[in-house]
Amino acid sequence: MTFLQDPEFGDRIITLMAALVLVLQIAAVGQRWLVSSIRIFAVQSFLLAGIAGIIAYFNHASHIYIAAMLTLILKAGLLPWLLERLVRRIEIRREIEPLINAPLSILIAGGLTLVGYVVAQSFYHPEETSVRGALGHNTLAVAIALFLIGFFTMLNRRKALTQVLGLLSLENGLFLAAISLTYGMPLVVELGIFFDVLVAVMVLGILVFRIREAFDSMDVSKLRNLRE
Amino acid sequence: MILLWLLIVPLVASPLAYVLRKRHFMEAVNLAAFAVLLCLAATLGVRALRSGPVSVWDGFFYADALSALVVLLSAFVALVCSIYAVGYFRHDESNGVFREGEELGGGPAINKLREYYALTPLFVFSMILVALANNLGILWVAIEGTTLASVFLVMFYGRETSLEAAWKYAIIGGVGLSMALFGTILTYYSAHQALGTDTLAGLNWSVLVGNASQFDKPTMRLAFILILLGYGTKAGIAPMHTWKPDAYSEAPIPGAAMLAAGVLNCALYGLVRFYILSAKCLGPGFASHLLILFGLLSMGVAVPFILVQKNFRRMLAYSSIDHSGIMVLALGFGGPLGVLGMLLHMTFHSITKPLLFFCAGNVQQQLKTDLFREAKGGLIHSMPLTGAAFLMVTLAVTGAPPFSLFLSEFTILRAGFSRGYLVLAVLFITFLVAIFSGFLIHIANMVLGPDPGLPPADNCRWKRSSVAGLALVIIVMGFWIPAPLFRLIQGAVGIVTSGR
Repeated sequence: MTFLQDPEFGDRIITLMAALVLVLQIAAVGQRWLVSSIRIFAVQSFLLAGIAGIIAYFNHASHIYIAAMLTLILKAGLLPWLLERLVRRIEIRREIEPLINAPLSILIAGGLTLVGYVVAQSFYHPEETSVRGALGHNTLAVAIALFLIGFFTMLNRRKALTQVLGLLSLENGLFLAAISLTYGMPLVVELGIFFDVLVAVMVLGILVFRIREAFDSMDVSKLRNLRE
Repeated sequence: MILLWLLIVPLVASPLAYVLRKRHFMEAVNLAAFAVLLCLAATLGVRALRSGPVSVWDGFFYADALSALVVLLSAFVALVCSIYAVGYFRHDESNGVFREGEELGGGPAINKLREYYALTPLFVFSMILVALANNLGILWVAIEGTTLASVFLVMFYGRETSLEAAWKYAIIGGVGLSMALFGTILTYYSAHQALGTDTLAGLNWSVLVGNASQFDKPTMRLAFILILLGYGTKAGIAPMHTWKPDAYSEAPIPGAAMLAAGVLNCALYGLVRFYILSAKCLGPGFASHLLILFGLLSMGVAVPFILVQKNFRRMLAYSSIDHSGIMVLALGFGGPLGVLGMLLHMTFHSITKPLLFFCAGNVQQQLKTDLFREAKGGLIHSMPLTGAAFLMVTLAVTGAPPFSLFLSEFTILRAGFSRGYLVLAVLFITFLVAIFSGFLIHIANMVLGPDPGLPPADNCRWKRSSVAGLALVIIVMGFWIPAPLFRLIQGAVGIVTSGR
């Protein structure tokens, strides 16, 4: 089992998993069933937890194990469960036609991935990083791409719940950026961020529910009473 | 120890208000907690002046003069808002405002009040935490915390429009803050290479500031842009300001006043901390140009909306966008004079803004509308105190002498001229004059004029005392700044300009 000690092997696995995360994100762009979108998010979070676990294993960094566990429990388990329950309760299963249609959206997502690579290249200097070796700028590029595609999803979709999912995938991008750049933020900060994400999803969930009750719809483009 | 007490007091007050249930008790808990908080904040200010930065838990919480100033302002705003809130919500209750919500499933009025009185201390807790956190990651967590605690304040009345405002507030705030988090991660990364630490201290501002010159420059540049966009969203600078008019016009007045005068300071405080790092790493020029651009843009955006505004609650929000623009611009002008102008402005704005909201709240509760069109003028006849205070605070908030905001705006102007930004300074004056005239015309039309024969209002003890008391503070501050407060501001200027 010598390959388990080989950092090169770890690097490859991480790159593979990061690529899968990106593929899932692009698949989510074209997805219109809410439950599928939620499950894509769950699988994505699962993969992120895996990446964090591998980094923790190869760097012997115990605090990343905790971050990985929390990601697994919260983002791959609890949050998707809460969101699916919300979908069942509000009885809306499908996204209405987004502003930009699916094929074009996927094309834009591909473009944003390229942007991610360009940005990552511009300020990432692996030769200057610490002796433990850098994780390759692939992961960072994927992280930035996740962030940008999350943004795009929030602009493009009109259902309140898909916007919440967009926000969550934005946050996933940040998590990936943090672990690939600096092997995670300090643990206290990481815990604080997890707490905030959890509370944010609950607050937004309550809001989605109340909006659905008041407007008989979850379409945020119907929220247009407040104007100049 | 004092730092911990500052955090414990609001944290205890929240569940206490929640379990007590009786309106009088909840009011008393809030008032007592914020009064204690203000005393503690003043003590912290004195300590920070006398013996330099205070810290506990290996510097996990850390307060220098700049933090102490923000804590003091937050505690002050919280206290005056809680005094006003007593009168405001009693009036709401007797007006039957909550009954409408009950039909929509909002629960009886007392539950609404419980929500308010339990969430407000949490809201204040996050504001204090913003100022006391040394770790930039915790700073981010706390600023996000202010958003989460206040979303329910924005949707307090449960109307369709409140839901819409709360949604915009939560989503735009969430996206903005995720950018700020990215900026924080990048700052950590650029410092990580220089410091090589994996420990918690690697994100502590007091550690970072000493080593900022060795940070990776391209990364820091990107980080500062993201921070500016992120915390700028929270401070409501253009073009990320769109949530502000909605949230400010839908939240109950005391909550809106805390957003406008408290959270604004916290967001700018976060920005200032990163500005110091970026100025040390990249030199002041890079941040300055961006700050000036966004500052002037915010002021410029506010002008037309104030001039043609139909709704006086929304007008207050545009005034707040204008003021955050002024402060960002002052920071952009930089130098000791610019920073002094910014911090003076922050102080005076926090004192003046709540009164503007209180007067608007009194008018709204009397007329049951927030549209200028439906206010027939002559309010001063039925509400002599509110009317007079409204006119006075309008002059104060638009920076007319002798009120204190004139002093700070003049300082900023001098900073602009002395740094050679002639065209920008002239633009600054133009915007100020336009906003002054727009504001004054709207408010004067509403307050002055023949008596429309409304029944006399202005008889609630709590509302009267908060309006009159705050008006007195504003008048006094126009002529005299307490020496310790000024020294605290100077100390904070020293921190921003020299980093210690």
